[in-house]
Amino acid sequence: METHTRQVSRRLHEEHQATLALWARLEASLAAGKADGALMRAAAASLADEIERHFAFEETELFPRLAAAGEGDIAELLIEEHEAIRAAGRRFIAVLKQNPVNPNLKSQGLELAERLVSHVQKEEMSMLPALDDLLDDETDEALAARLLT
Amino acid sequence: MFGNVSRSRLLPMSLPFRYFGAAVAFQLAAWGVLLPFSAELTSFRGGLGPVFAAVPPLTLGVLAMTAIGATLQLLPVATRQPVRALWAVKLVWWALVPGILAFAAAAAAYRPDLMGPGAVLVVAALAGYAVLLWKNLAGARGMRVVVMHGWAALACLAALAATGLALVVRYEHGIALDHGAFRSAHLVLAAYGFMGLLAAGLSSFLLPMLAVAPPPAPRVSFGVLAAAVAAIVVASVGFTAPGALLGLAAATAHVAALERSLRARLRPLPGPAFLLIRVSWACLLGSLALAALGFPGGTLLFAVLLVPGWLLTFLLGVMQRIVPFLASVHASSTARGTPLISALTPVRLLALHHVLHLGALALLAGAALSGEPLVARIGAAAGFAAAAAYAAFFAYVLLKVRSHGNAYPPSQPAPA
Repeated sequence: METHTRQVSRRLHEEHQATLALWARLEASLAAGKADGALMRAAAASLADEIERHFAFEETELFPRLAAAGEGDIAELLIEEHEAIRAAGRRFIAVLKQNPVNPNLKSQGLELAERLVSHVQKEEMSMLPALDDLLDDETDEALAARLLT
Repeated sequence: MFGNVSRSRLLPMSLPFRYFGAAVAFQLAAWGVLLPFSAELTSFRGGLGPVFAAVPPLTLGVLAMTAIGATLQLLPVATRQPVRALWAVKLVWWALVPGILAFAAAAAAYRPDLMGPGAVLVVAALAGYAVLLWKNLAGARGMRVVVMHGWAALACLAALAATGLALVVRYEHGIALDHGAFRSAHLVLAAYGFMGLLAAGLSSFLLPMLAVAPPPAPRVSFGVLAAAVAAIVVASVGFTAPGALLGLAAATAHVAALERSLRARLRPLPGPAFLLIRVSWACLLGSLALAALGFPGGTLLFAVLLVPGWLLTFLLGVMQRIVPFLASVHASSTARGTPLISALTPVRLLALHHVLHLGALALLAGAALSGEPLVARIGAAAGFAAAAAYAAFFAYVLLKVRSHGNAYPPSQPAPA
């Protein structure tokens, strides 16, 4: 990936890298037939934060800006993927809370890992570089502060 | 030159997929034309006829067709510039497809007098694509490595169109020019220049993206580009061995940089598509080594390593990841959700394709070394079967997109 010029892009990129690293570990663990309870709980906690804070920030602050800049179809695609990840994420978290050794966790975890990785790839390719063009210094600073809260 | 029509970087699905679909059909056509005459392959020494007629469907119909479709969709992501004139994208396709058909049919029928109209259509299509590419690169922001590779590929495209036209004019009107020198320059500019530089540029961001890995350092990519351009210039003006040696150094650095990048990937499964990509890199290095050594084993072995070995294998490996990825993007909707890429990837069918395609390569290389026509025939049959398997994969993705509604969780992770 190229070096991002905006604070918001850099911060989101760091969060994406952390998500990728965690879910890649979970994916490898599930594919190997292991049931690492601690890893799954860490992934679920990260996912809850992703859904609550990260997604909400993107949907309220960034996607409308993308749409206004003529990238409405990309913003729409990312929103649709958020919805799919939210639905799959809620199922995964609910099953994990009820029964950490539920055999369905494997397929649900693998689905989530695939959806998250694919989504992050698209945001890294299309959204973050676009933000470098769209935001001015003042807006970037304000948004970066909002992302951290 | 082209008016504003599109504002978004995401093209409608029908645009890139009409190029990919045509490439699927041309791959079948190329192997289909070669198959009945494959016994002549080992004794082929150039000239028109059915063996030569299999070349344009493969080089223009599969390689250039896919490169155009893929770059028109992927390059705007890298350059942050939409392809604005969608009608021009359609027009290029409508000129290129009949142009290749007419050119190949005339070559198969030993009718150089009829090759001209096909060549003119092909050159017109490539000129239209060159304008689209130029306009996109001219307004590019970001991903300078990809953009610089794009400019270098564009320059090669212009030069290869000029040398190609000169060769056709020689066939049609018998004008005096150094046929061997023009043919060599045309080959270098087409394979290593236009196709190779586009592939190298897009690889630098696409392969790390697919594998969730860090891209190679820009200074390494720029160094590779500089060496590759120098090699192409040197080889194009007739210094084949020094050009090939320089090209071999550039290609080795390119492959090493990408392998280093892939080793740092976050996902554990690189996927079978990367096997094809690695085989293609081996064929690239092999082709350059043969050229540097003066073509031991004959020019047929070099041609096998260069076209089906490097370019076609690389393209098939990448497209097996890109087609489901793009199809998933286009099939997404609020009502139906986003299909999983793994649900659009027929793993067993692709495994069969890998076996057949790699088998075809090995057999054709064996035929080139042994001169045995039967081996060439079996190789061509395996190539045709591989093209049929790839066509089935493409049809599978389209049918899945059409019937998309229920995305089932995968039992295994999607290949990276």
